[in-house]
Amino acid sequence: MSPAPAPALPDGLAVIVKRDCATCRLVEPVLAELAAAGRLTVLTQDDPAFPASVEHDHDADLAVSWHWAIETVPTVLRIEGGEEVARAEGWMRSRWEALTGVSGLGAGLPEFRPGCGSLSVDPDRVDELRARFSGDRLRSRRVELASAEDEMEALFARGWTDGLPVVPPTPERVLRMLEGTSREPDEVVAVVPPDLVAGTVEKVAVNAVMAGCLPEHLPVVLAALEAACTDEFNVHGVLATTMPVGPVIVVNGPIRRRLGMNSGVNALGQGNRANLAIGRALQLVVRNVGGGRPGEVDRATHGNPGKLSFCFAEDEEGSPWEPLSVSRGAPAGTSTVTLFAGEGPRCVVDQLSRTPESLAGTLASCLRTVHHPKLPLGFDAVLVVGPEHARVFADAGWDRARIVEELHARLQLPGDEIVRGAGGIAEGVPEAFAALTLPKFRPDGILLVHAGGGAGLFSTIIGGWANGDVGSQPVTKEILA
Amino acid sequence: MHDIVDLESRGVPGVFVASSEFARAAEAQAGALGFPSVARVLVPHPIQDRTDDEMRAHADAALDAILAELTDRDRP
Amino acid sequence: MTTVILDPTGERAPATRERVRRPPSLQGRTVGLLDISKPRGDVFLDRLEERLTELGVRVERYRKPTFTKPAPIDLRHQISITCDLVIEALAD
Repeated sequence: MSPAPAPALPDGLAVIVKRDCATCRLVEPVLAELAAAGRLTVLTQDDPAFPASVEHDHDADLAVSWHWAIETVPTVLRIEGGEEVARAEGWMRSRWEALTGVSGLGAGLPEFRPGCGSLSVDPDRVDELRARFSGDRLRSRRVELASAEDEMEALFARGWTDGLPVVPPTPERVLRMLEGTSREPDEVVAVVPPDLVAGTVEKVAVNAVMAGCLPEHLPVVLAALEAACTDEFNVHGVLATTMPVGPVIVVNGPIRRRLGMNSGVNALGQGNRANLAIGRALQLVVRNVGGGRPGEVDRATHGNPGKLSFCFAEDEEGSPWEPLSVSRGAPAGTSTVTLFAGEGPRCVVDQLSRTPESLAGTLASCLRTVHHPKLPLGFDAVLVVGPEHARVFADAGWDRARIVEELHARLQLPGDEIVRGAGGIAEGVPEAFAALTLPKFRPDGILLVHAGGGAGLFSTIIGGWANGDVGSQPVTKEILA
Repeated sequence: MHDIVDLESRGVPGVFVASSEFARAAEAQAGALGFPSVARVLVPHPIQDRTDDEMRAHADAALDAILAELTDRDRP
Repeated sequence: MTTVILDPTGERAPATRERVRRPPSLQGRTVGLLDISKPRGDVFLDRLEERLTELGVRVERYRKPTFTKPAPIDLRHQISITCDLVIEALAD
């Protein structure tokens, strides 16, 4: 599939038409007038015999229409020095006369008739045309699958899947995916661990196709990959640890609604294409581009099902508080991803608390158990507050900062309770801390997110991995088009 | 061939022995399975009408090639 | 009609599957001989077994029910946990 060069058009006028367009048939006499007046090239898209009254060429492979970005027929181009200097779409006498310099065109025709869609933008053909004419934009190695090879099995066999089937990344699909971003295919998004391979926009697009993404999901995947590959997030460490964590993506801002992401019922679960495919695409990039595979660099003792995909949106509309992204410094109204190295989620049940103090007590006592009730400071946590729990806080006037402050106040751990051996449990902090009080979390170690269905007095905790310089810091990044 | 591909995916090095009639089919099948380098050794066709002695001679003749496919002694 | 797909990887390795790494020698290893159940194959494999045994190889014999299908999964699993290497014969 070698790309065709852009076909030149001779100086003068060029008109692109198709028989299947009533306006094109209407202007046939005008084409004859223009041909008599000087240099005219006529190209027909469908029927090589049309227009019979004028000398013309057949744009059979639509190369001219594609490369000159024809969207409507008829289109008149004025070409000077091989370049387009003006164009008119559809039929409008005054425009055509101004553009061609010929007056009195189309006597007896109406003043104006809109044109029809060019065959080169026909949705049924556009993928194939893009692959034919822009295929050279793609640098990835082309892998030919023999006709006898089941393409789904082929992708499994080559070790390119996460254990579930993937969409075969054909050039057509990858080029369509790349329409989702304004970035160039060869632009390096990030250097992807563990193999430290340059992850280009194209490679991300290939894996996004495999994950089941739509083109409009791609900018979110690109932002998530950038965030994951920062030193702060340290996806290499997240991958290599024996702990059961993976990247958790929380999406904020207008893009959530544009992509139809789920922040409501079953927000952390299955069933929403954008949530699932975006999270999966990030993991496939780490696996395929970075070479991070379970049992190799990925040493997780247990892992968790979220390592397949863990991405959800914050319910901002129903939230009593500012979005997570804003609390982390992003301007209101921007679309962002926040990456957190998290384990599988677990539920907090409290169906009786009617005061914020009581509910904060419940949430704090469950947060205390993250990884171990006797281990302070080492781990962050995401607290996904369900709408019915959020309402208890909102009715009492507690904002985001107040809730976090009240949780911290209830998570000060007396040293004598958490030293090694206390409670008959060897795990804990060194004896030297016995006289101190240690906070369970560092000051910014609790990330509050508002999400979930409207019924259920529940919240969810997602425990983190080692935080700080030795581990992973949550990272918020803006999503760019 | 499918069996060897499967066993290789389980971490067991394998080689497949077939008659020379099978050469092109094996080539195509290896390609179709995405495993063009799958190890195979070919012995002269035909097989079915050979005497026991002739079959044993085939085995003797193929042994070196089989060992070469199963060890890295001839590979850097 | 072949399908073309784009390699999703960092392209550090070939896009096809590669052989499992071979040992330097078969001495002291267990080699499975898998008979595909075509006539005459057993004679060939009997001789291979003799020769391999002379070379200090431990031989395990297996036979699949029919040459028309891949070996049953239990047989493949059995071979993979019992044998270090495998030789399958003899197709014509």
